[in-house]
This record gives sequence, C-alpha cells and structure tokens, in this order.
Amino acid sequence: MNATRSIPALIILLAIAFGVSAEAQHKSTDEILRLIDAAEPRAVVVVPPGVYQGNLVLDKPIELDGQGLAILDGGGKGNVVELLAANITIRGFVIRNSGKTVSGEPCGVRAMAGPIVIENNRFEDVLFGIDLRESPDSIIRDNVIHGKDMELGRRGDGIRLWWSHNCIVERNEVNGLRDMVFWYSENLTISQNHVTNSRYGLHFMYSHNTILKENQLSANSVGIYLMYSNNIKMVRNSIVNNRGASGYGIGLKDCDGIIVENNDLLANRVGIYLDNSPSSVDSTGLVTGNMVAFNEIGLLATPITHDNTISHNVFIENEEQVSAHGGGKLSRNHFSADGIGNFWSNYAGFDKDDNGIGDIAYEPRSLFRSLLAREPNLRIFLHSPAQQAIELTARAFPDLRPEPMFVDPAPLTRLPQLDLLVQSKTVARTPMALLALGLLLGAGAGGWMIARQRTLPASVGSPANQQARKVPA
Amino acid sequence: MTTLAGKPHLTRAGSHLSRTGSIISFARREFRDAISSRWFLLYTVAFTVLAVAVSFMSLAGSGSQGFAGFGRTTAGLLNLIMLVVPLMALIAGAGSLAGERERGTLLYLLAQPVSRIEVLLGKYFGLALALCGSMCIGFGLSAGVLAWRAGSVGLSAFAMLVVFTCGLALAMLSVGMLLSVVSRRTGVATGLSLFAWLVFVFLSDLGLMAGTLLFKLRVQEVFAIGIINPLQAFKMAVIVNMNASLDVLGPVGMYASQTLGNSLPWLLALVLAIWTIIPLLIAVILFSKRASV
Repeated sequence: MNATRSIPALIILLAIAFGVSAEAQHKSTDEILRLIDAAEPRAVVVVPPGVYQGNLVLDKPIELDGQGLAILDGGGKGNVVELLAANITIRGFVIRNSGKTVSGEPCGVRAMAGPIVIENNRFEDVLFGIDLRESPDSIIRDNVIHGKDMELGRRGDGIRLWWSHNCIVERNEVNGLRDMVFWYSENLTISQNHVTNSRYGLHFMYSHNTILKENQLSANSVGIYLMYSNNIKMVRNSIVNNRGASGYGIGLKDCDGIIVENNDLLANRVGIYLDNSPSSVDSTGLVTGNMVAFNEIGLLATPITHDNTISHNVFIENEEQVSAHGGGKLSRNHFSADGIGNFWSNYAGFDKDDNGIGDIAYEPRSLFRSLLAREPNLRIFLHSPAQQAIELTARAFPDLRPEPMFVDPAPLTRLPQLDLLVQSKTVARTPMALLALGLLLGAGAGGWMIARQRTLPASVGSPANQQARKVPA
Repeated sequence: MTTLAGKPHLTRAGSHLSRTGSIISFARREFRDAISSRWFLLYTVAFTVLAVAVSFMSLAGSGSQGFAGFGRTTAGLLNLIMLVVPLMALIAGAGSLAGERERGTLLYLLAQPVSRIEVLLGKYFGLALALCGSMCIGFGLSAGVLAWRAGSVGLSAFAMLVVFTCGLALAMLSVGMLLSVVSRRTGVATGLSLFAWLVFVFLSDLGLMAGTLLFKLRVQEVFAIGIINPLQAFKMAVIVNMNASLDVLGPVGMYASQTLGNSLPWLLALVLAIWTIIPLLIAVILFSKRASV
C-alpha cells in the first residue's frame, strides 16, 4: 500500500530532478536536427530534457515530443520554431523567447504547410504564439500561451490562422496577447479555449462555416468579433467583463446565417452588437437562450439590421437593455418566436392567466434615451434624478413620448432555465457581512457614545433643551 | 436683549482647549437633539427602508447567475441618495439655527460664555455626526442584503459609496446652515432649503441639459459646468470609484477620464470639500457679524 503510493511521488521527484538538470544544460537545436535526420519520416522522436538554443526549422514530416521537459529557446530572435513541411507534430515543449520586433512577426511556432499538430506546449515570452499560414487540417490544442510583457498595441497575436481551412483549435489558454484571429479560414472548430487580458478574444475575418463552442473569454477588449463571416454557430461561450473602448461581448459585422445560442454575456460594455447582420436580403440571424446581464448595453444594433430572431433570452439589469446604434428603431427584427419572447428584468407588465407570458407587450420607449441619440453629451446626466424627471414628464405628457424602439409581444415573466457553460458562481459573503455589521455597530455605538454623557455644563445644555421642549409645537 | 449676545470670546482670550471643549459640548447637545427629534427618525427610517428595498430589487433575478449586481444596486442607490440625502441634510441644517432663534433659545445659548463660532461649529458637527450615523444604518442594512444575496463583490466600491455619501451630506448640511443663518424664521429657512434642494437636484441639471441641447455645448464646457453641482460631482466620484473610468457617462465622461486620469477622483472630492467649507465659512462670518439674534 505504502509502496504503491510512493511511486507517483518518486516519479515527480525524478521529474523535478530532470527538470533542474535540464535547466542547467544548454544545448543547440542542431542536436534535435541530428535526431530527426537519424529517424524515419513520420517517426516519433523524443527530445531529451534540456534547453535548446536557436531557431529550429523543420522540413521533414516528424513527431517531436519534448515530454514537457525540453525547452526551445529562441534567444530573443525570430521564430522559435518554423515548420516548412506538412505532417509535423510538436508536443510537450516549453517554447520561449521569440524575437520582439513586430516587423518579422516572430512566433513561438510558425507553420507554412498543413496538416500539423501543435499540442501540450507551453509558450512563454513570445510575441506571436502560433501562426498557421496556409496550413489546412491542423490541430492546435492544450497549449498555454503567455505573451511578452508589453503594452497592448505592441503585442502579437496568440493564435493566428491564415488561409487554413478545417482546423481544430481547442482547450488552449491564452493570456496577455493581442488577438486570436482567424482569416480566410473555413470549417473551423474553436472550442473550450480560455482567452484573458488580450484585445480580441476571438476575431474572424472572411472565415465561414465555423463553430465556436464553450470558450471562456474574459477581461479582453472584445470577446468575439466576426466580420464578413457567414454561417457561424456560437454556443455556450462564457464572455465576461470585456470592456474596451469598443468593447463587445459578441460583435457581428456583415455576417449572414449566424446562430448565437446559450451564451453567457456578463458585465461587458455591450453584450451583443449587431452591425448590419445579416447583410444579405434573404438571410437570417438567430439569437436565443443567451444570458445577457449587467452590461452597459445588453443588445446594440444598427437600425439597418433586419431579420434577426431574438427570443428566449434573459436580459437582466443591463444599463440599457436594448439600444439602436445612432438612434432609430429595430422593428425589422423579431423579438419573439412561436409566441415566446424574452425575459426582461425591467418588464413592468402582468400575467393574469399565469402562463409565464406577460399580457402586455414589452415596448421600451424612453424620452431620455431618444434625447441621448440626438445629443450624446447628455449621457453625463445618466443616473441622476433629472433623468428620472424627464422620463416622468414623458409619461405625463404622451405627446412627448417617443415611439417604441421595438416590441416584444410575449415577454417572459419567469426566468427560463438556460443551458449555460457556467451555471453559478459562489462569492464569499463574509467581508460584505462584516462591512454591514461594522456600519451598523459604528452608527449604534458611536451614537450611544456621543449621546450618553452629559458633559455639557448644566447651565448650557439642559435648560435650553427643556425650554425647547416646553414650547408648544 | 441683543447686547446679551455680545462677543464673549474676545474678553475671554479663549484658550484652544476650552474652545474645542465647548464645540464638542454643543455638538453632543445637537446630536442628542437630532436623534430624539421626529423628523430625523422619519428620514432615517425612510432612507433605510428605501436603501434596503433598492438593494433587494436590483438583485432580483440575478440569483440564478450568482453574478453580483453591485453596479446595478449602486445605480439604484445613487438615485435614492441624490434625492433623499440632500433633502435630509439641507432641512437639518436649515432648522438648526433658525429653529433656536424662533424658539428664543438661541438668545439663551449666546448668553453663555461661548463665541458664536463655537455655537455654529458645534451645531454643524453634531448634525453631521447624526446624519452620517443615520446613513450608516441605511447602508449597513443594505450591505447586509448584498452580503446575503450577492456576496462581497464590489466591497471597496460600496465602502467608498458610503464615504462619498457622507461627503455629500456634509456639503448639503453646510449649505443648509448658511440658509439657516440668513433666515429669521424656521419657515423661511425650510422654504429656502427646499428651493435649494430643487435647484441642486433638478433645476441645475435640467438647465444644463437644455443648454447642452440649445447651444451645442462642447464636452469640456458641459463637464466644467456640470461638476459645479455637488450632486453631479458626487455621482461621478461614485462611478469613477466603481469603474475606474467615467466612460459610462458618454463623451463627457470619456473626456474627463482621458484628460484628468488619476486626478479625477481627487478633483471631484475637492468639489465636495469646497461645497462643505465655503458655505460654512460664509455662515460663520455672517453669524458672528450679525448684531441681532
């Protein structure tokens, strides 16, 4: 029993010992090339632990395995690894220290042919992480990519695909780079990636027929942004706290055939942004089952946007639930499907027959919002009583009331169950409870301390008091 | 009668110790009077009930997510604070001296061997403590609701909300005291303070809104005029603390964040400080110069 337990520990110890000795030994990447030369094409080559200095260029189909202990160090110049042939696998390496001048776009791994596989690697201190150029049918998975500690504008992309169709990008963790960007690459599967502290979580240009599933994008400028990309399905992504100057949770520009389903969009500047999507006359968009909560604007759409079906979503406490970009109406879209609309936390209607559908349509119309559309500078008065006064005026004088921006004819009165990636989070309660207690005790004890003692000379305090009380009201 | 009120502190060549001592005594007396008065209890209960209700309602529906809606709660609380706190503080300040004057007790107070400054500052500090304590009760219960329903997200921002609300109360109390000094009767003082409340809460903002629309004011002009209003300064200070930026407030807010950066919260706190010190100073000067009671 004891012996079987100690075996893993022994292995870990050995691994650490190897790791330490690996750090100490500095080798050249030429040693790896010699191993590859000696091997058959497509053979598995295990690279012994060590730090390999230099820029590794591979042009032979091979499966390289660093087993987590081999470190490839680019020495701060150019690409750390460059793949010129197809059918190469890079697995289990630490890949670090690429060049840092943006002109040559130095990468951790750059591939010029496909298919290739890049998996289980750890990228550190690289300007660009992984760059696939015309490398179709490739797989990028289980990599951890950390960028150089530079300001956002000077960083490179975490993962970039260029003319690389049919790729799978999954379970990668990208922190502190610029974008995850996919250009002219079709039929991709992007799933379960974590992107944080970057600019664009996932960015698509002219990349059609793609599935984005269960990715977690937080604290970036923008979560997912699609441009000119058609037939994209976004399912169960969690997109939180993306608040750049044009920070969108999900942004769609001129995209046809989009499905946005069961995503979590929390505390972004804008939850979902529809910019002329769908753009073709006969195309449609579907936004359904999403949790859109605590964003500055829940759903922002240009008035030209049409033929989207927006139903079964939950809109909770967004500063502005829905907004038309630049003013106008969104009446060319459908805010319900088959008699079911959306849940709006600010819905003020009722449900007499208790069937879960409100009996009065949800029609947002706000005089202040329409003033804002005319004069954006007025936004400074948000959250002030004057704003409420204006809304009250509009209610009292219907002539002043603007037309509704859109109509949800069947608003939900109960929270629907959504199939979200992140179901619930527990937050520590004690500090806030302590603050509550402190405030109450402070007020109570302070008040008692002050009021208790009658240190005032009787001649000043009490008679005046008594006299004051005798005066009839 | 009026000569009774002379200037005793001149003859006393008052030491600092006794002067602070009597300010503290007056503050204690004012505090006791305030917390035992009906209006004060009414406001405290109203503020507390509303604050708790707002916290509850802002968090309704967020339970399924477990994602704290502190921002929404604050937005709700902001509206409430900006309506109730200035009203409370202005009326408390307005009633303080004018009330004593009307009842005739002011004469009695000034007959004591204390200076008018001591009376005024004592009253100010007593009321300030009572107001802040009353708000701490409301915020304390509201924080309890947050802890129960949403957890501790936004703890420091909530604490800063309490601090800035106390700052707003001090500024408004200061204005109220000034109105109290210049009015002869409680009715006049209360009327003036209600008018001041209307101006601070509604008229100045609505006027600036109209001005922005009519004259197409530029961002820097809107910002400069806007922050003169202590309520706007308070609101911006709370939002800056919450979001580290004012971009929520559109182009004007972005301009403020961009040009002032880290000094923005200090500027806003300074506005509140000025609104506290200047009216109180004027009140002190007027009160000690007025010959009659």
